[in-house]
Amino acid sequence: MTGRIEYWVKVPVGPIHPALEEPEKFIITIDGERIINVDVKLGYNLRGIEWIAMRRNYIQILYLAERMCGICSFSHNHTYSRAVEEMAGIQVPERAEYIRVIVGELERIHSHLLNLGVVGHAIGYDTVLHLSWLARERVMDILEAIGGNRVNYAVNMIGGVRRDIEDRHVRAIMDMIKYYREEVMPNIEEIFLYDPTVEARLRDSGVIPRRIAVDYSAQGPTARGSGVKKDVRYNEKLGVYPDLGVKPVTPKEFTGIIKGDVFDRMVVRVGEIWQSMELIERAVDQMPEGKIKTVPKDNALLFQLKKAEGEGIGRYEAPRGELIHYVKAEKGRDGPARWKMREPTFPNLFAIARALVGEQVADVPVAIASIDPCLSCTDRVAVIDANTGRKTILTEKDLLKLSIEKTREINPGIRGKPEVVGIGCPRGDVL
Amino acid sequence: MNLLYSTLGFIGVYLYVSFASLLWEGIDRKVVARMQRRMGPPILQPFYDFLKMVSKESVVPRDANKLFELAPVFALAAAIALLAYTPLGFGPLFETKGDIILFIYLLTLIGFIRVLGAASSGSPYAQIGAQREMIILVSREAPMMLGIFTIMWRIRDLGVSKPFSLHVLYEHNIWEIGTPMSIIGALILLFVFMAWLASEIETGFFDIPEAETELAEGTMAEYSGRHLALLELANAIKAFVSASLVVAVFFPWGISGYLGLTGLPAMVADLLFHTLKVFAVLFVSMSIFRATSGRLRITQATNLFWTRLLPASIVGALLLVIDMLGVIS
Repeated sequence: MTGRIEYWVKVPVGPIHPALEEPEKFIITIDGERIINVDVKLGYNLRGIEWIAMRRNYIQILYLAERMCGICSFSHNHTYSRAVEEMAGIQVPERAEYIRVIVGELERIHSHLLNLGVVGHAIGYDTVLHLSWLARERVMDILEAIGGNRVNYAVNMIGGVRRDIEDRHVRAIMDMIKYYREEVMPNIEEIFLYDPTVEARLRDSGVIPRRIAVDYSAQGPTARGSGVKKDVRYNEKLGVYPDLGVKPVTPKEFTGIIKGDVFDRMVVRVGEIWQSMELIERAVDQMPEGKIKTVPKDNALLFQLKKAEGEGIGRYEAPRGELIHYVKAEKGRDGPARWKMREPTFPNLFAIARALVGEQVADVPVAIASIDPCLSCTDRVAVIDANTGRKTILTEKDLLKLSIEKTREINPGIRGKPEVVGIGCPRGDVL
Repeated sequence: MNLLYSTLGFIGVYLYVSFASLLWEGIDRKVVARMQRRMGPPILQPFYDFLKMVSKESVVPRDANKLFELAPVFALAAAIALLAYTPLGFGPLFETKGDIILFIYLLTLIGFIRVLGAASSGSPYAQIGAQREMIILVSREAPMMLGIFTIMWRIRDLGVSKPFSLHVLYEHNIWEIGTPMSIIGALILLFVFMAWLASEIETGFFDIPEAETELAEGTMAEYSGRHLALLELANAIKAFVSASLVVAVFFPWGISGYLGLTGLPAMVADLLFHTLKVFAVLFVSMSIFRATSGRLRITQATNLFWTRLLPASIVGALLLVIDMLGVIS
């Protein structure tokens, strides 16, 4: 007999909540301020991108891939290009690889600066948000100068890049790096490495131990913050990255210890901004002259791709972690027969949900922000049943019933009584 | 006749403080925005917000009980009642023998009513906010009360008519004792009071019950329309009144004596000067604090009160006591 009465409350964080940038849902069971259980629900941001892609050709998909997510738009179409190049056996000119490195690292800088601000906002430190986003404007301007757009720069093409980096771009990039080195980064380091408020809030919150990071296959800064040396650019010797001397950044180089908490993840991001600036400088120095596309004409490229057959996998270290695109081609079809991608946010979300158990409610927004979730990348698939003309909407309960039936069908010996977890949709008609 | 004048003065003070406190809110938003290199809203934005909210429909949650709708009214009523016992450059309007007790009681009551309203709303966010507000309410009062009673007790020794009335703060102040130990003690207590003020108006470290990103405005989560307008006004008045206490205890000097005014003009001049001092105190304790710090966890904040501010308050009080009793001479 313990004599203790537990007042457990289920608090939904999301789908719409001030702590979240995009719709997702965490159902948090709390006892006072302590978290007992965390349940993740996804699927509030479905746009049917894969379905749309089935009606487009290889080159049109480049621009669709870019619009999966606003922050990692370059990563998506870069990875897609790599998958198609592997499938069709297209060699990329060396200059194009260097341009991809430069734009990719610029994107990493802007993505990490954005996340540093978001984490500042999550702990109520709004000055960090406003000043780091102000600093981010500079790199956005460079990206606009190179790609013609602040967000969707459309630099990649299958077998190369569409836009060259000229001398004026190089000058602007060098100015930007000087500005960041001298004015922005010292302040960022002071806030995220030495500020007592930030340390009080970020240290020992949302701890993902190394074992959980490996078990749940966490990616990117989330894994590196827990001490897992995992970086596709380094492990897979991606493109020209080995020549530029890329190394996985872990918090050990900055603070000497690895705890796997939110603080460590932010330290990794600060370190990666430094690393990206070095990579850009080296890439600009070493960039050879030459052509930037293997096949100069788009219709010739499309003709070549139409004849291709087989499948290809593209991997790239997006700012949030490893991004994988899979493309399967059919002969005679001008678009892929299957196109599938795995985003880093997906494994990271479950790792962080596991890490939140036992923490306080106050840690929820900052822990979620610390993995830099990108839900618009993660939710893309819509299942549409169009057998009859009649439109039927399956509710969550129906789907659960169907899946239970299917499980019984496959494995009749199975026992146990599954039931709906979480709050679900009370009205049942909105999924 | 005297009662009539007091009542008229009270209504005037209420209207003036409502205006000044909303004005400060606008100035604060603008100042913080400039610190964050933003443009910020116009200075009159809180007035526009207030007028708009008053005209909007108020949504009451299905699970809320009657107290949910009554709480904003009670909160504003408590805030208005509080004004009668607030030093505003002159002694409280309805001063009595021990009005400092009544003052602290009413100030705490506003927070308590907010907790009641939030707990009656049936929203889990508001429930957590109410729990947090309750915890921080209990923690923050002890250092402040120890400080203010020590100061009042010390001033009593200088010879005043009604000890433990807030009016004595305008007869004598803590600085005029002038011994080094009393000045050090008073400086320590000033620091404690500034921290208390920040927690009373819930900014910076102490923005815990209303934590926007964690609890979606916590205690205020379910309020909208007229009810929200009343609560916002009550909060703004509470911020002004809390800062008034700090100003009256530590910076009570008026300007009417220097200008040679008497009667009503003297009161108006003192009130205006007092408002400026309140804005200055709030600028330090609210705007700068808000722009240079983030929110703590509730455990850390409670820890801060019991293991940092309460000992600081005890040390400050002991210094004043030792100075007066002459243990070390």
